[in-house]
Amino acid sequence: MDIGFLGQYVVNGLMLGMMYSLVAVGFTLFFGVLDIIKFSHGDVLMVGAFAGLTTFFGLEAIGIESAWIQLVTIVVVSCVLTGILGSMIGKYLVLPLKSAPALNTLLITLMAGTVLRECIRLFFPDGSNPKPFPSLLPSESYSWGNFTLRLDSLMLLIFGTLVIVAISLLINKTKLGLAIRAVAQDGETAKIMGINFTLVVIVTFAIGSGVAAIAGIMNGLYYNEINFDMGLLLGVIGFSAAIVGGLGNIYGAILGGFLFAGLQTFGAVALPFASAYKDVFAFAVIIMIMAWRPTGLIAERTSERV
Amino acid sequence: MAIDGQLEVRDIYTAYDKADVLEGISLNVVPGKITCLLGSNGAGKSTIIRSILGLTPPRAGSISFGDKDLTGLATHKIIATGIACIPEGRKLFPKLSVEENLHLGAYQETSKDVVRQRIEQVFEIFPRLHDRRLQLAGTMSGGEQAMVSIGRGLMGAPKLLLIDEPSLGLSPLFVKETFKIINKINEQGITVFLVEQNVHQTLAIAHYGYVLSKGQVVAEGESAVLAENSEVREAYFG
Repeated sequence: MDIGFLGQYVVNGLMLGMMYSLVAVGFTLFFGVLDIIKFSHGDVLMVGAFAGLTTFFGLEAIGIESAWIQLVTIVVVSCVLTGILGSMIGKYLVLPLKSAPALNTLLITLMAGTVLRECIRLFFPDGSNPKPFPSLLPSESYSWGNFTLRLDSLMLLIFGTLVIVAISLLINKTKLGLAIRAVAQDGETAKIMGINFTLVVIVTFAIGSGVAAIAGIMNGLYYNEINFDMGLLLGVIGFSAAIVGGLGNIYGAILGGFLFAGLQTFGAVALPFASAYKDVFAFAVIIMIMAWRPTGLIAERTSERV
Repeated sequence: MAIDGQLEVRDIYTAYDKADVLEGISLNVVPGKITCLLGSNGAGKSTIIRSILGLTPPRAGSISFGDKDLTGLATHKIIATGIACIPEGRKLFPKLSVEENLHLGAYQETSKDVVRQRIEQVFEIFPRLHDRRLQLAGTMSGGEQAMVSIGRGLMGAPKLLLIDEPSLGLSPLFVKETFKIINKINEQGITVFLVEQNVHQTLAIAHYGYVLSKGQVVAEGESAVLAENSEVREAYFG
């Protein structure tokens, strides 16, 4: 195997890992504060990507051409809209079911995800076909032998790292983060401390969903294409990453995201027949890891939840 | 007439699911005093605390603190009226540090300087916590956890402190120490509502007491009188 090709795969794997981690962090945050699985998360991500695309059309229409202004506006608008969507799901679909069995929450968010997906497919112009996503990042690239590093990939990786660092700081260093961790450990005692439980839950849903929107936009910028059902696989992968890392643990989610991407990439490189089986390979290994460590790689009792 | 700083519980009925646990409880917690609530296991003592805090809101009756009606308020709004609680079993956040636990006690205080001052005050009362401020609360001994829990209850500078079974699971020596501290807290002007099973030591520091049995108040009075009440002693405390 040529070292240049290998480098290419590493960059690609890191990029995928970044997106998966950002999705998995949402799953782990929601589970942390409410002990629930929100299955609409992948579709919320998809809505984030489409919100970004719509913002792009809007900016083009009013004549704003600067790629940087477009990019910043797309990210901000998409994060805010998706954050609002996520907090509405939290407030109107998840919180009212707090005393119902967890299975009901799972079902209702699964249905909500289907509604979102079908709405985009039916109401977005030509929504059932893949939509080209604009390349807003510089297209320069640097080559060393067979290894080509695209500047846009590098920028996405740096941006993704910054988002992960920012979430970690938010959770560990701010008063809001302290409240989120308190609610995650013991919601009732958190209330006795004077924490507005409902507000913290809703804000957590907004944060997780905003981060998913970032993953959705990264996905669009990297592949230059988005699709109404892109959230399905990303959601399942993000969920698996969160579980395999140890649900409820942010670092576990990040680890799980990169692990899954690493497996996919390894599957694509190492399997002689076809890289088409990379997902099969990755999920099979995840199943084996789950059988070996049922509570995840970073088990909850040894690490801090959220 | 509302008395400033007085907690008034008026004829509350509180139920889990359908079965009433509290059947028409009325009591007053007089400002500046220690009022205690005695009763055996399952009498409904903790349910009264849960009702006051809005965790299990009463289905009938009313609760007020000073001129504020607490009935039906969300817990964080009840805390905002100047009430704090040292819950049964301490209920620390096990995976947060001592300092983070203390910070949470003053969650509604917006001034960082005030929070820092209060943490220093807690460290003055419990110097051992200063050395352990970065330790995870879940890894500490029972006695140390009790200190954190008491400290956390003081962090919000409450007007009224609800204390639920502070002696539970502590060594006799530390129980004595705890009651001394509760007395000291009260001497600093904080009203205390103390829920306990430990009759003798509780009546020794309380001014007024209620006795609860099967969801109803069966006796009340000055603690000296309650301590002499032979019926109460025989019926509930052996």
